[in-house]
Amino acid sequence: MSYESVVAPRSRQGRKHPQALPGSRRPRPALARAGLVLAGAGLGAVTALAITAETGAELRAPGGAATFLGSLTGLVGMYLALLMVLLVSRIPAIERVLGQDGLLRWHRRLAPWPISLLIAHALFITVGYAQAARAGLGHQVAVLLTRYPDVLIATVGLGIMAAIGIVSLRAIRRRLRRETWWLIHLYMYLALALSFAHVLALGPSFVGHPLTQIVWSVAWAATAGLVLCYRFGLPVARSVRHRLVVHEVRPEGPGVVSVICSGRHLDKLPITGGQFFFWRFLTRSMWWQAHPYTLSALPQPPYLRLTVKAVGDHSAAVARLRPGTRVAVEGPYGAFTKYAKQRPQALLVAAGIGVTALRSLLEDMPLGAAPVVLLRGTRPEDLVLRKEVAELVRYRRGRLHELVGTREQAVLDERSLPRLVPDLHRRDIYVCGPEGFVTSIVDLAARLGIPAEAVHHEAYAL
Amino acid sequence: MKRAGWYLLAGAVAGFAGVLGFHSGGAAAPALLGPPKPGGAAAAPVPSASPAGPARSTGPAASQGGAIGQARNATGAVVPYGYGELSVTVTVRGNQITAVSVPLLRTAEPYSQQLAQQVIPMLRSEVLAAHSAQIHGVSGATYTSQAYAQSIQSALDKLHIR
Repeated sequence: MSYESVVAPRSRQGRKHPQALPGSRRPRPALARAGLVLAGAGLGAVTALAITAETGAELRAPGGAATFLGSLTGLVGMYLALLMVLLVSRIPAIERVLGQDGLLRWHRRLAPWPISLLIAHALFITVGYAQAARAGLGHQVAVLLTRYPDVLIATVGLGIMAAIGIVSLRAIRRRLRRETWWLIHLYMYLALALSFAHVLALGPSFVGHPLTQIVWSVAWAATAGLVLCYRFGLPVARSVRHRLVVHEVRPEGPGVVSVICSGRHLDKLPITGGQFFFWRFLTRSMWWQAHPYTLSALPQPPYLRLTVKAVGDHSAAVARLRPGTRVAVEGPYGAFTKYAKQRPQALLVAAGIGVTALRSLLEDMPLGAAPVVLLRGTRPEDLVLRKEVAELVRYRRGRLHELVGTREQAVLDERSLPRLVPDLHRRDIYVCGPEGFVTSIVDLAARLGIPAEAVHHEAYAL
Repeated sequence: MKRAGWYLLAGAVAGFAGVLGFHSGGAAAPALLGPPKPGGAAAAPVPSASPAGPARSTGPAASQGGAIGQARNATGAVVPYGYGELSVTVTVRGNQITAVSVPLLRTAEPYSQQLAQQVIPMLRSEVLAAHSAQIHGVSGATYTSQAYAQSIQSALDKLHIR
C-alpha cells in the first residue's frame, strides 16, 4: 500500500486532515532577521575598527591615506568574504526562510565586492608603503613579498580569488560544465585560508591587540565549523542514517523518469513539500557529482520518489540507474513550500518538469485549500504526472487548467491570466519551471500588481 | 525577505557605535586598540636600557660643558630611513658611551615598527660595545641600522666626541 501511495497520490487514502510530516520544520523568519542584524553589526564593527586604528598624524604622513584605504578595504573585503562563505554554508534555519536559490542569488550578486575590495587592498597597501618608504612600486612589491611575513601566500590566495572571480563571470561560466566550475570554485576555501595569517601578523587593528585577534579568529573558525558541519557532516550523517537505495526507475513521459528510492527512518527526514535534495548516485561514473532534483511526492516510508527529465549528461544517466544503487543526499533545501504563503489561497503554475515541485507542494496542502493549478507544456505528453496532479487538485476542491501548445498558442498575459484566475488578488503565486518561464511569470505578476512577497519561484536551471 | 536592508543597516550602526564606544570608553580601550600613539605614525618610544633611566635632552646639545667624568647627553638628528624615521639619544661619560636610547621612532606601518623594536636593542648593544657609531649593523635591517648609526654620529658630533 505504501509503495503505491508514493507513485500515486496519497489523497486516495482519504486522510481528511493531513498534518505536517513529523519531521517537517516550520521556517522561523526571526532567525533570518537576527542573522541579518548580526551580519550588519559585523560590517559596522570592522569599519569602525579600521577607522579607530588610525590617527590623524598617520593619515597625514606620506602614504598615510593610501595605507588607511588599504587596511579599510582589506578588513571590509575579508569580512564580506566571510559573509559569502556563510551564505552558501547551508545553515538549515536560514535555508528554510530564504531558500537556497535566494541565498545563491545574494551570493552571486555580492561576491564581486569582496574580490574587488581585496584587489584594491593589495594595490592601496603597495602604493601607501611605497610612498612612506619613498621607494619605487616595483621595489616595494618585492619588499612586501619577500620581507613581510605571510604576504607571499596571501598574494597567492588573492591570485586564486581573482582567477575564480574571472571564471565566474557570466560569459565565461556559461561555457564551463557545471562540475568543472564547481570544482574550481572550491579553491576559494584554500584562497581564504592562505589569506588568513597575514591579517593577524600585519593588520593595524590586530598587531598587539589580542582581543581583536581572538574575535577575528573565532569568527573564522566558527564559519569553517558551520561549513564543515552543514555542507559535509550533516549530509554524510543523513546519508548513512537513511541508507537510501534505488528501488525502481519508471518512465513517466518522453525523457522523464521517476526514481523510487527506499531507505530507513524516512519519517525522521525534515521534509516539506516542494523542497529538493542534491542527489549523489554512488555508481562508478556518477559518485563524484551531486545534482539538485525535487522530490515529486512526499515520502511514504520506506519510499521516496524523485522525477527527473533528461536534459544533461547526469539526468540522462539517471534513467539508466539500476535497482540497488546506493544514494547519498544533501538536503532538504528550499523555501518553495506552503510556509511561504502570505495570502488565503494559492495559484500554482508549472511548466515542463517544474511539475515535480508543484506535485509535492500540492500534496502538502490541506484538503480544503482550493488551489488553482496551471500546467504548461508544448505537447500533451509533456504534462507528466498530470493524472496525479488532477487527483490531488480534486481532493482539495481546486481547479486544474492545462495549457498545451506553443507560447503563441497558449498565451499567459495580463488578459488571459486574470480570466483564468479571477480571484488572483487573494492568492499567492507559486511558479516552477525553466528559468525563462519563471522569469516571464514573475514579471507578469509584477505587472498585475501582485506584491513580490506573494510570488514564490523555483527555477530548475541550477 | 521584507526590509532586509533596514535590519542590515540597524546592525551596522549598532556594530559601528559599539566598537567606537568600546574604543573611547575608559579602561577597556587599551586592551583592544593598544596604547595611545603620541607623535604620529605608529610611533612608540623604545624602552631605554640605560641604568640611569632614559636620559633625554630637549635642546640639540644639552648638558654640555660638564667636567670630564660627568655624564653628558645629546640627541642626534632625526634620520629618515625608508620605512620610517628615528633619532637616538646618547649619554657619554668622558669618551665612553654609557647609554643609548631611542626617543623617537616612527614607521609607516605596524610591521616595520615591530621589526625596528626587535633590531634596536641589538644595535644598542653593538654601540655600547664599540663605543662609537662604527657598528656592523643588523643584517636584514640594513636601512634601520644605517639610520641608527647616522643619528648616533650626529649626537656624538654635538658632544664633540670623535
